[in-house]
Amino acid sequence: MTTKNADAIVVGAGWAGSILAKELTEAGLKVVMLERGPDRATAVEGAYPDSIDELRGAIRHRLFQDLSRTTVTIRNKIGQTALPYRQLSAFLPGEGVGGAGLHWSGVHFRAAPDDLALRSSVIARYGQKFIPEGMNLQDYGVTYDELEPFFDKAEKVFGTSGEAYKVNGKVVGNGNVFAPSRSDDFPLPPLKDVYTANLFRKAAGEAGYHPYSLPAANASRQYTNPYGAQMGPCNFCGYCSGYDCYMYSKASPNVNILPVLRKDPNFTLITRAHVMRVDLDSTKTRATGVTYLDLDSNREVTITADLVVLGAFQFHNVHLMLLSGVGKPYDAQKNEGVVGRNFVYQTITTSRAWLPENTFTNQFIGTGGGGVAIDDFNSMNFDHGPHGFVGGSPVWVNQAGVKPIAASTIGGGKDAPRWGAGYKKALVDTYRHAMAIDAHGSNMAYRDVFLDLDPTWKNAYGQPLLRMTFDWQDNDIRMNRYVVSQIEPIMKALGATKYELGMLEPGKPFDTRIYQTTHLGGGAVMGDDPNTSAINRYLQSWDVPNVFVIGSNAFPQGMGYNPTGMVAALAYWSAHHIRTTYLKSPGPLVRV
Amino acid sequence: MSVQNDTPKKLPVPPGMSRRHFLMALAGTAAFWTADEFADWRQAIAAEAAQTYTPRYFTPDEWRFLEAATEQLFPQDETGPGAKALGVVGFIDRQMDTPYGRGGLWFMSGPFREGPANLGYQLPYAPREIYRLGIAGADRYCRDHHGNAFADLDHPTQIEVLTAFEKLPIMFGETLTAGIFFEQLRTNTMEGAFSDPIHGGNRHLGGWVMLGFPGARADFMDWVDQYGPAYPLGSVSISGETA
Amino acid sequence: MRGLRFALCLAVFPPVASAHAATPSDDLIRQGEYVARAADCAACHSVRGQAPFAGGVPFDLPMGRIYSPNITPDPDHGIGGDTEEQFSRAIREGVRKDGASMYPAMPFPSYARLTDADVHALFVYFRYGVKPVATTPPASTIVWPLSMRWPLTLWRGMFSPAPHQAAAKTTQRSFPDPVLARGAYLVEGAGHCGACHTPRALSLQEKALTAADGDLYLSGGGSVDGWHPPSLRQDNRTGLGRWSENDIVAFLRGARASEGSAFGGMADAVEHGTQYLTDDDLHAIARYLRSLPARKTPDPVWKYDAATETALRRGDVSARGARVYVDHCAACHRDDGRGYPSVFPPLAGNPVVMDEQPDSLITLLYKGAIVPASHNAPSAFVMPPYAHVLSEQQMADVLSFIRGAWGNDAAAVDVEAVRKRTPKGSGAGGAKMPLN
Repeated sequence: MTTKNADAIVVGAGWAGSILAKELTEAGLKVVMLERGPDRATAVEGAYPDSIDELRGAIRHRLFQDLSRTTVTIRNKIGQTALPYRQLSAFLPGEGVGGAGLHWSGVHFRAAPDDLALRSSVIARYGQKFIPEGMNLQDYGVTYDELEPFFDKAEKVFGTSGEAYKVNGKVVGNGNVFAPSRSDDFPLPPLKDVYTANLFRKAAGEAGYHPYSLPAANASRQYTNPYGAQMGPCNFCGYCSGYDCYMYSKASPNVNILPVLRKDPNFTLITRAHVMRVDLDSTKTRATGVTYLDLDSNREVTITADLVVLGAFQFHNVHLMLLSGVGKPYDAQKNEGVVGRNFVYQTITTSRAWLPENTFTNQFIGTGGGGVAIDDFNSMNFDHGPHGFVGGSPVWVNQAGVKPIAASTIGGGKDAPRWGAGYKKALVDTYRHAMAIDAHGSNMAYRDVFLDLDPTWKNAYGQPLLRMTFDWQDNDIRMNRYVVSQIEPIMKALGATKYELGMLEPGKPFDTRIYQTTHLGGGAVMGDDPNTSAINRYLQSWDVPNVFVIGSNAFPQGMGYNPTGMVAALAYWSAHHIRTTYLKSPGPLVRV
Repeated sequence: MSVQNDTPKKLPVPPGMSRRHFLMALAGTAAFWTADEFADWRQAIAAEAAQTYTPRYFTPDEWRFLEAATEQLFPQDETGPGAKALGVVGFIDRQMDTPYGRGGLWFMSGPFREGPANLGYQLPYAPREIYRLGIAGADRYCRDHHGNAFADLDHPTQIEVLTAFEKLPIMFGETLTAGIFFEQLRTNTMEGAFSDPIHGGNRHLGGWVMLGFPGARADFMDWVDQYGPAYPLGSVSISGETA
Repeated sequence: MRGLRFALCLAVFPPVASAHAATPSDDLIRQGEYVARAADCAACHSVRGQAPFAGGVPFDLPMGRIYSPNITPDPDHGIGGDTEEQFSRAIREGVRKDGASMYPAMPFPSYARLTDADVHALFVYFRYGVKPVATTPPASTIVWPLSMRWPLTLWRGMFSPAPHQAAAKTTQRSFPDPVLARGAYLVEGAGHCGACHTPRALSLQEKALTAADGDLYLSGGGSVDGWHPPSLRQDNRTGLGRWSENDIVAFLRGARASEGSAFGGMADAVEHGTQYLTDDDLHAIARYLRSLPARKTPDPVWKYDAATETALRRGDVSARGARVYVDHCAACHRDDGRGYPSVFPPLAGNPVVMDEQPDSLITLLYKGAIVPASHNAPSAFVMPPYAHVLSEQQMADVLSFIRGAWGNDAAAVDVEAVRKRTPKGSGAGGAKMPLN
C-alpha cells in the first residue's frame, strides 16, 4: 500500500466532481480527483465520424458502467430475493472521465421552487392528510432564491440554450410561464424546433396548454463559457444520449470545465482508480482520506486529505457511504437511519402519434436537450385536490435523434408484429411518420423503497453490491396516468391518424429489462433534520463533517425535471459555502 | 449517387484490402489516431482481410439455422432487403468474437438464481453460449415436433416454430428458455440489419435505405427547419461507403 | 509630411511598469523569456513532452538530417560555457563557438535585427532562467563532403546581413507611427515570419528579408512537411486582405479567428510563441502586416456566391465532389462554407483554400489537424484525418469542390496532385490528442 497526500479528494470525474474540483482549486487547494474509468476526450473516441456508431455507442454502451466488475441487485419489495442487474437496460450509469455528464442528453432545468419545499407546499395547499401513508415527503432545506445564483452560474458554464419567461420579475419572452423569475436570461437563445417539436408546440397551444422550449445544454450557436472553454453549435446530428458530442456542442465536464482544470498545477486527475472506501479515524466522525484500488497495478493506494468530496453517481455515493460507515444506514423495518433512505427514481412513459403518409417526421434529426414541453401538469402547477396524488410531470417532445437499432426496438406500435414482414412494414411507417411524446414525471419517496448492502452478491473487489428495493407505488402510477390522459387533446390537435398513450400499468412491477431513465435519486438526501437526511443543506455529512456528498443522491424525492441542472446548482452552492465558510473554520456548517 | 468506395490506396489501407474491411478492424481503436500504432493495425487487418467471409464461431449447422431463422425474423419482401441480403448472420458471428459475445459486458458472477422475469436475465451464459445451447435446443425441438432441423422446414412451419419459441414456455435444457434464446436472436438480428456496415451487417446500407436513415453524415443544421418533406440525401457509412 | 522615424525603442520586451519591483536579474530573465517566446526558440529547440530547449528536433534538409542543438545552460551539453559575445554571434550571425557556420535552418538572417538589449536579455534567460539538461541530441546524418561547413560560411557571407547593417536598415526606415515600427521589428526580426512565409531562392536564402526588400517579402513560402505557408500580404483572396487587425490578433493569441484557424506549423508557432505576446505587440504585428500591399496585380476581390449553398440546401449534390462534401465536411464547415468561426473555420473566402498551392489542403485531408489550446483559448479542436475514408480521387473531387464553391474560384485539384503530395505517415503527426 502506498500513501499520498492532498488538501482535498474528489471522488468521481463527472459534473459534481469536476465542479467541486474546479471550485476547490480556485480556492487554492491541492485537489486529487479519482475516477475509476478511463480518461475520455472528444478528439480521441468521440471524433467524427467514428463516434457516429449506434452499435458501439448506445447499444454496446461504450461510455457506460462496466457491469462485469460491479453492479447492483434489485428487488421489488422487502422479503423478495434481490437479483443482480446483469445487463445494462433500465438505467445507464456512466464510467470514465465525464461520467454520466459525458453521455447525457443535455436537458438542463432549474428546479421548480415548489419542488424544493414539496412537503411544505403540499401541506399548505391540501393539508397534512393529503400525504399518503408510507410516503416520506420532505423539503430540500434550500430554497429556489438561495440557489438562483448557482443555477445561473451553471447555465453560463454549460452554455445553456433556452428562452426565459421572467427576468428580474419582468416578463421578457415566450418561456415557461410556470418558471420562476431569473436573475439573467439564458446565455444562448433556444435551439430551433425540430418538426415534431414544432407540431407539438402548435397543438399544445391549441389544446390550451403553455408550450415552451426545453432548456438545453446543447449550444444553439458557438459559445465561450466563463472559464474560456469553447463549444461548437449543435447541428442536430442526434448523437447526444449515449455519446460524446463530436461537435463539442453538448456540455460535458470534458469540454466545459476540464480543459481549464487539467492545466491547473494544483489539480491531479487519477483514472482507473476504484475508490474502495472513505477512511475514518477512530472516532468515526472525521475522514482521514480515501483508499482506492489502482486498477492497473491491482494495488490499494491511500490518500490522506482534510476534505473528502463524494461526487460519484447517485447510488455509488450511497454505496461508498454504506461501505465506509459515513452516516447511519437506513433500517426500513424500524424506519430509522438515513443512508439508503428515500431512494427515488422518475416515472417516464412514451405516447406516440402517427401522422399522414405524406408527412415525414425525420426522427433521426434531433438534439438531446432540445424540444418543446408543457408544465401545465408538473409540480404544483395544477390542482391535485380532485386527484389525490402528490407530484406531477412535464410533457414534451424531446426528439433526440432516433437511431435505427433503437427504432427496431420500438417497432411499429403496441399491436404491430415484433418480427416478419408485418413488423418491417410497420417499423418503416413508424420511423418515417410517427412522433413520440413523453410524460417525464416525479417519483415520491416511500418507507419501503430504499438502498442497502446486498447479503449475497459481491463485486470484483470482494465488496457487497448495493441492493435496490424499488417498485412503482399507487400515488405515482395514478399521477402518470392522469397526466398522460391530458395528452389526448394534443393528439387530436396534431391531426394524428392514429395514436397510442403510454402509461404505467397498475400491478405491473418495475421492469429492469426496459430502459426508462437514468435519473435515479435520493439515498443520501439533504435536509434540515439529521433524523431524515444524511447530509445538511450544504450537502455536508451530518456525521462526518469533512465529507461532502454531491449529486442527485441529495434529492428527497424525484422531481419531474431532469436532474443535471439541479445537481450542478447544488454543486456550486455547496462549493460556495465550503469556500466562504467551511475552509475558514472547518466543522459542521449546520448545528442541531 | 454512389461514389467510389473501394479504390485501393497506397496508404494506409494495405493492398488487397478494402477500406470497409480496414475500418471494421480499426473502428474505435485509439490506434486509429496515431501513426505510431500503425504496425499493430496491420496485424489486426491481416486477420480481417479475407474477402469471402469465413465463420469464426458458428458451425455449419448453426449457420444454416441462423440463416433460415433470421430470414424469417427479417424477411426479404417488398419493404426491403432481408437478413440474408444484409449479411445479418455474418454480423452475429463477428459479434460472438467480441467482449459482448463472450459475456464481457455483463455481470457474470454467481450465484445464479432464478427470479421473476422483470428482474432480468439471470443465467450463467454469455451470448455465444446462448446461441450454442439455443440452436441445439431449437433444432432438437424441430426434429421432435416436425421431423426435421429448422432450416429444412417449410416457411409456414418455421414461422409457427418461431412463434412458439417467442410465446410458449419451452425449455432448451435445464435452464435456457426458448424465450430468452428467441429474444437474443431477435435483438442481434435487428442490430445486424441496422448497425453501421463496418460491423459486417447492413450490407450496402440496405437496412438504412429501407428506413430512410442517413447514417454517419450526422449533420442536419440545414434540415432541422425544413418541415414536412422527406430528407432527400442518401445514406453514408463511417467507412465512407454510400447508398 | 514624411513619417517620423521610430527606431529607438525597439527592444522586444515590453516596458516594465516598475523597474524596481523585482531584482533586475529577475526582470531581465522574464524579459529574456519574452524574447525567447517572440523568437519562438522552443519550436526548434524543444521536443514535445521533453525538457525545454534540450534540442533534438530533426530537420530534413536536402543533403541529410540535422538535429537542433541543446541550448540549455548545461556547460558540457548545452551552451552554459558560452560567453555573451559567443551567444550573440550565434544568434545574430549564425557563427558557432568554434567559428564554424550554422545551417540556415537557424533564422540568424532575421535575428540579425535583434537589439543588443534583447540579445542580452535572451542571454541572461538562457543562462539563468532555463534548467540545464545534460543530454546531447543525435549527430546529423549529413556525410562528407556535404557535411563541410565552409560552403555555409560562403552562404552566410552572401545572404545574411551583418547585425550592424541589419539594424541600420531597420532604423533608417520610416514608419508613420511607433506601432508599425515595433510591428516591423517583431515580424522581420524576432518573429522571423519570413523564414516560412517568404519564398526562398534555389540557394535557400529568403528572397526578401524585410518589407523594404520588395513585395516578395511574406508573399507565401515553400511547403514544409506538406504545409504551404500562405501570403501574409494584403492580397484579397490569397493573403490577409480581408482580415481585420483584430482577426490577426485573435489568430496569433488563440490560434483561431473568425476568418480561419491555425494548423500545421502555425499551430506550433502560436502554441510556443505568439500566445504569450502582449496585446500591444500583437496589435503592432497585425498593423504592420496590414501595411504590406497586395503583391498580385490585379488583385481580384473575393465575393460570396450563394449558388452552392442554395443547391446543397435543396439536396442537390450533383456537382462533382458535392456528395463527398456533405457526407464528410459540411457537418463542421456547413453547406454555406462559412463554418462556425473560431470553432470550425470557414472554407468560403479562406485564403488557404484559394491558395495556388493546394498542399496544405491535401495534407489536412490526409492527416487532419489540431487547433491547439492556449492559455487564452483552452479548448483545442481537432479535424480527423480522412486518409482511411476518402480515396485519392474523392480527395481531389472534394478539394476541387471547395476551391470552386462560394465564390472561391480557385483552380481544381487533380488526382495526380493529390497522389504526388501524399504525406508520409498518417494521423495528426503523432501529436498528443487534446483532452477536451
